Amino acid sequence: MDADFPKERTGFIFSDPAGRRWPRLRLTLLFTGVAAFIAAIFFVQTLFVTPQLRLPFTLRQLRGQLKSLQNKNPAGQLPPNVPLWQKFLSARAAAKKPVAATAAIAHKSTGGEVRMGFYINGDPYSYKSLEQHAAQLTHVCPEWFALVDGLGNFQVDADVRIPKLAARKGLALLPLLTNLIGDNWLPEAVENLAHGPPDRQDRFLQNLLAHLEEAKAAGVVIDWEQVDPAYRDEITKLLEKMADGLHAAGLQLWLCVQPGQDLDYIDFDTLSDHVDRFVALLFDETSDTDPPGPLASRHWFESWLHALLHDADPQQWVIALGSYGYDWTNGAHRAETISFPEAMSRANNAGVGPGVVGPPDHESDFYFEDADKEHSVSFLDVVSFLNELHALHDEKAGGFALYRLGTEDPAIWDALNLPRPIQPNDATRSILQPLKGTDTITDVGDGEIVDVDETRADGARTISLSQDGYLHASYQSFPEFPTLYHQGAGGEHQVALTFDDGPDPKWTPRILDLLKANGVTATFFLVGVNAEKYPDLVRRIVAEGHEIGNHTYYHPDLAVCWPEHIKLELNATQLLLETITGRSTTLFRPPYAADTSPSSLADLAPLRIANEMNYLVVLENIDPQDWARPGAEVILQRIKQQRRDGSIILLHDAGGDRSQTVTALPRIIEWLRTRGDTIVPLSTLIGSSRDAVMPPVGNTQRLPRLVSSAGFRVFHAIAEFLWAFMIVATALIVLRTLLVILLAARFRRIAPASVEFSPPVSVLIAAFNEEKVIAATLRAVLANDHRGEIEILVVDDGSQDETAAEVEKIAEKDRRIRLVRQSNRGKAEALRRGLALLQHEIVIFLDADTHLQSDTLRLLVQPLLDDRVAAVSGHAKVGNLRSFIARCQSLEYTCGFNLDRRAYDRWNCITVVPGAISALRRSAIADSGGLSLDTLAEDTDLTLSLYHGENRIVYTPDAIAWTEAPETLRTLARQRFRWAYGTLQCLWKHREKVFNWRYGALGWFSLPSVWFFQILLVAITPLVDFLLLASLPFGAWGAVLPFVIVFLAMDVILATLACILERDPIRHAWRILPMRLIYRPLLSYVIWKAIFRALKGAWVGWGKLERTASVPVRV
Amino acid sequence: MGNSRCTGRVAGALAVICFSLGCGKPAAVAPSIDRNGPVEVVLPERGAYTGAFIDFGEAEDEVALETIEGFEQMVGKHQAIIASSSYWGEQNFPNANLQMIWRHGSLPLVFWSPWDRPYEQKKGPDRFSLNAILAGTWNRYIDDWADAARGFGHPLIVSFGDEMNGDWFPWSGIYYGGNKKIPGPVKRWEGPELFKRAFRYVVERVRARGAHNIQWMFQTNNYSSPVDVWNSAAAYYPGSAYVDWLGLSVYGQQFSEEPWVDFPPLIEWPYEEMARVDRTKPIMIAEWGVGEFPNSGDKAEWIRDAFALMERKLPRMKAAVYWHERWQNEDQTYSNLHLNSSPEALAAYRKGVADPFWHGDLALRSAPAAQKKIPAR
Repeated sequence: MDADFPKERTGFIFSDPAGRRWPRLRLTLLFTGVAAFIAAIFFVQTLFVTPQLRLPFTLRQLRGQLKSLQNKNPAGQLPPNVPLWQKFLSARAAAKKPVAATAAIAHKSTGGEVRMGFYINGDPYSYKSLEQHAAQLTHVCPEWFALVDGLGNFQVDADVRIPKLAARKGLALLPLLTNLIGDNWLPEAVENLAHGPPDRQDRFLQNLLAHLEEAKAAGVVIDWEQVDPAYRDEITKLLEKMADGLHAAGLQLWLCVQPGQDLDYIDFDTLSDHVDRFVALLFDETSDTDPPGPLASRHWFESWLHALLHDADPQQWVIALGSYGYDWTNGAHRAETISFPEAMSRANNAGVGPGVVGPPDHESDFYFEDADKEHSVSFLDVVSFLNELHALHDEKAGGFALYRLGTEDPAIWDALNLPRPIQPNDATRSILQPLKGTDTITDVGDGEIVDVDETRADGARTISLSQDGYLHASYQSFPEFPTLYHQGAGGEHQVALTFDDGPDPKWTPRILDLLKANGVTATFFLVGVNAEKYPDLVRRIVAEGHEIGNHTYYHPDLAVCWPEHIKLELNATQLLLETITGRSTTLFRPPYAADTSPSSLADLAPLRIANEMNYLVVLENIDPQDWARPGAEVILQRIKQQRRDGSIILLHDAGGDRSQTVTALPRIIEWLRTRGDTIVPLSTLIGSSRDAVMPPVGNTQRLPRLVSSAGFRVFHAIAEFLWAFMIVATALIVLRTLLVILLAARFRRIAPASVEFSPPVSVLIAAFNEEKVIAATLRAVLANDHRGEIEILVVDDGSQDETAAEVEKIAEKDRRIRLVRQSNRGKAEALRRGLALLQHEIVIFLDADTHLQSDTLRLLVQPLLDDRVAAVSGHAKVGNLRSFIARCQSLEYTCGFNLDRRAYDRWNCITVVPGAISALRRSAIADSGGLSLDTLAEDTDLTLSLYHGENRIVYTPDAIAWTEAPETLRTLARQRFRWAYGTLQCLWKHREKVFNWRYGALGWFSLPSVWFFQILLVAITPLVDFLLLASLPFGAWGAVLPFVIVFLAMDVILATLACILERDPIRHAWRILPMRLIYRPLLSYVIWKAIFRALKGAWVGWGKLERTASVPVRV
Repeated sequence: MGNSRCTGRVAGALAVICFSLGCGKPAAVAPSIDRNGPVEVVLPERGAYTGAFIDFGEAEDEVALETIEGFEQMVGKHQAIIASSSYWGEQNFPNANLQMIWRHGSLPLVFWSPWDRPYEQKKGPDRFSLNAILAGTWNRYIDDWADAARGFGHPLIVSFGDEMNGDWFPWSGIYYGGNKKIPGPVKRWEGPELFKRAFRYVVERVRARGAHNIQWMFQTNNYSSPVDVWNSAAAYYPGSAYVDWLGLSVYGQQFSEEPWVDFPPLIEWPYEEMARVDRTKPIMIAEWGVGEFPNSGDKAEWIRDAFALMERKLPRMKAAVYWHERWQNEDQTYSNLHLNSSPEALAAYRKGVADPFWHGDLALRSAPAAQKKIPAR
């Protein structure tokens, strides 16, 4: 028998008997691979090795600029000839009502000592302090209300966390009501409310009560300043009215008293009967707008304390004690309010020597110089606090209030637990003497270009008790806190425009046009990915004289990034910018910098890393939040409001619709110029030059630049290709899905002929080790209702089991069955041999494991009545639904047969009539060159060969055969590999049919579909998957997600339709989703394996494949 | 209590609300005219320019755009004139201020006052005395100032030695011999004569430097103090050749111990008197204002009266500049000339100034650069 078949297999598609292709290919692959690998290493190395930024100067100089000044007494205020407290005392004595004001009012708090904290909105340390030390407080007074006009209208600016925190910690909440808007006191707001008509006051009071009630407050603290004493009587009446209203609602009225001229408007004698507490603000002896001086000197404090409490009920009085510092810069309009840690930090950095003498004789103060500007710092500490507390006890005051939370000497809280009076014993010293360097971040300098120092160190002071009972402090060494060194405030009329997140192809050019038209130089903080996409814009920015800065590659939140990640972000962007522009940049702005100023060490770390990499970290202090699109007008207004206090404006030229920014920009520029400002690049703001902050890249760095340039281009090309591929693929999938649905819907069953077609037919079965199934298969064939003659030929391809015996057993009973045996040569050869032995024109190909229904044969041959029909495809279904894998394939078959095959039938472009169940004309097979042996997919090969002349290939969905699907992934993979390899072979063999008009829809639709959807797409999807996964950490998934959704949606739509056509439950269609997860990697694997095998030219024997149901679906 | 830094956000929101009430940029400039070229201000045929001095600080020269815009938002009208000072004690020309005012679309009015720090009233002449000026001591300063004014390059009005008929400023006649008669056929007194000489001296020096963009204002207080013939406006008038504008300061009650005076008598006679001093020049209410003393008088009413009178009875008045300031006096009392000293006062002003009689935008016409400045009209 062997002699009947050619042994020569050189015709087998992809086979390479000489074995030359693979070694050559391998060598080529090896060289390319090694080269690519080395290139990749170089590229990655350039990313990780920080480029040497040649920063010609560094912010760290700032620290060198701070230097201590010897006690150079500032032009302090001379005490007035007659101290104001004496005036106050005599005035009170003169105005004294005959009846003593000691008649305590019923609602007056007679509880224990009041310990109140003033809370400042927007200061994270104020919140932290309140949260930590609430247990030591009884009341909290947060900033809340401010009168805005004389009509009783007030604005509410409250921290919504405070009522909850107060409730949780058991603190009485007393919101503050001031007449302070921004930096300005509005005396008219108070005066006109007091002078105004009663209904205006009533409205105001009701409004206030409603707000207090909503906040679950215990009352309100009033702090009205700079009020004209001419309105004293009216204000007294207003306060009485307010007190009555508040008391009726069970709320308290506390009134702040500012020593000095503001006392003139307060009628103590009357009000002491109405107000629950007076809060004497015994600090700000020298205010922030005065020349430098003490904040609360001993004599001043005690004199006022005595004057205010003299002749009053001291219990009604709460004394607000200062706990902050002022830093006066020579020539500045206003002192900077600083915290105790900041005072320490400045003293430490300026190298202030030991011996700064604290209270009580002096305010704690020191002097230093920063960049030629003289500074004078005064601060209040735990010692001044304890001395004041001591005086309070002597005067029997009702308690104290700390002004303000967040700036205090932290030792205050420990000191409060000490037994009083304080003795400077060991226990006290151990609490008060050490100056701990904590996590509190301190700020030094002015401007928003910052440098970070995370060093912490403790300092020390000595505490002693003088003979007159006062504590003394002498600072020996100052503690060090994590510090932000600021610079770049620029001149009074210098301001910088900065644009973040670009370049953007739509908005950046418009902004550049506007800047050019107005002759303005700005700074652009570029995001790497955008710069990489639009290098021409980057070049344009630089060419037009603007400065560029690094804004990271992917704009991540650096506070949650690893240090290595941060470095990678910075380096990749730096290299990219160098590659594009030939310049480095030393400017860096962290993403999301505008959201919060650094208040934790986690915020500080990225800044420190950037500093270590020699970047200048640029923050901002004018943030109109243009990204939120508040309207061009609001953007402009916000800049107007913030301009006085800032010099770096933050805008955005990317990241969404920036039309408002574009609209606002010319108006911003015009307004700034009208104001007298010069718009300067950042380098000017720090007294440097463009070339210094953006040094041209030297020749020494040429090689790394070349590498990184090539690397970025390759990276770019790959990314672009994948994106384009995704878009094209998605479009094609949608198109194909729609087309398939349309065609499948228009599928028409061939009208049954008036006379049933009952030709003689031959059934051909190739069998290899089929002993378990062959008998059942044969019995199913025999049980058919076909009326014509039937011949059944089983070709046993050298089975090693009892297949032949099983066949013979049945053949004995039914003569229609014949058995031919051959040594194992493969299925194709078995079929070819069988074909030669058949008698009838019409041959039914049937797999040995495929069971016919009784009507299958009859229905299958009906289309052959039409002479043009050369082949009929039956409808294979999965019979074994025991495993999930099998059920998945069932769905796959359902889709393939119900949709694709119907669709292809419509256009006569079925690519395969399955070897499992199909009917063909033998003459047509012979005309097409017979059954070929040169592919693994002989059925596909045969089908494609049949397309010539008038031949039609059709599908009958009613001719159903039940086949057996692989039940494990392993067997499935093997089966699919065989299909994949076979399909590849057939595609290659029939490649001339693709896009060939002679083949119509086959050439233009079904074969390209196989190429694209079954080979190319399947091969490339792992790359897309990788891209998707890689993009997850950068939040780019949002861009990929739509494609994934479209892919899956198409799958689900097709599966649902197929299930409807199949009359399967629709829920089966959802199986397509998990199926994709299993199939996609599997199919990709076998496709790549098949491609490699094809390249290697290896002979793939079909005999190695496990016998199973085969080739039911390939579309 | 130290001012908090954290309230700016809300204040901002407030300003935005205010802004929505309106008052945009001036739109009256004809497009064909280059504002920055040689131009001169055209006086309105009907009505008058409105302007203000706005809280510019101790030396009256802390001019800030935000302050001006805030004021304009408050009153609801762009200001045609912004007044500020140039005190000799500062020894500078406030170029930045004036440029900013011009860029803002307003005409700067400068009170060029020869006195020294500390700027305290009623202390008499200092190193910038009229005698020192006439002796040439300050020629260099005057010349520099004139050069800078010419360099400024836009129209401006300069009021030199304003309210010289009072007794509070050191350049007043009362400090220079006052009523001492100078022998001769015409009645002349030493104080006023010295002032006139100084005025002419300064104007001539400045003109000699080519600063022809300046219009000079002769500005008296509405009533002299002391009231006497020698101390009258006419006695101080340096002559038509030296003056482009006639100015009047018209204040109602400013201090708590003063009486409340209604507007008509404050302006009617002084206007007539000034109109007689020179029969051709335009008249400006160079400063006007009143304190808020609810127990003495109704400020809103006073403002309404003022508008009504100015609009109907002062045909030669072509500009009025409100003095928007609040200050504390040595005796701790306040003088609150702020327009928003009460909501009622502000409402009255807003309503009054909204009348089309009051021009908030400058009308300009081109003037040949070399041509000598001719007073309008």
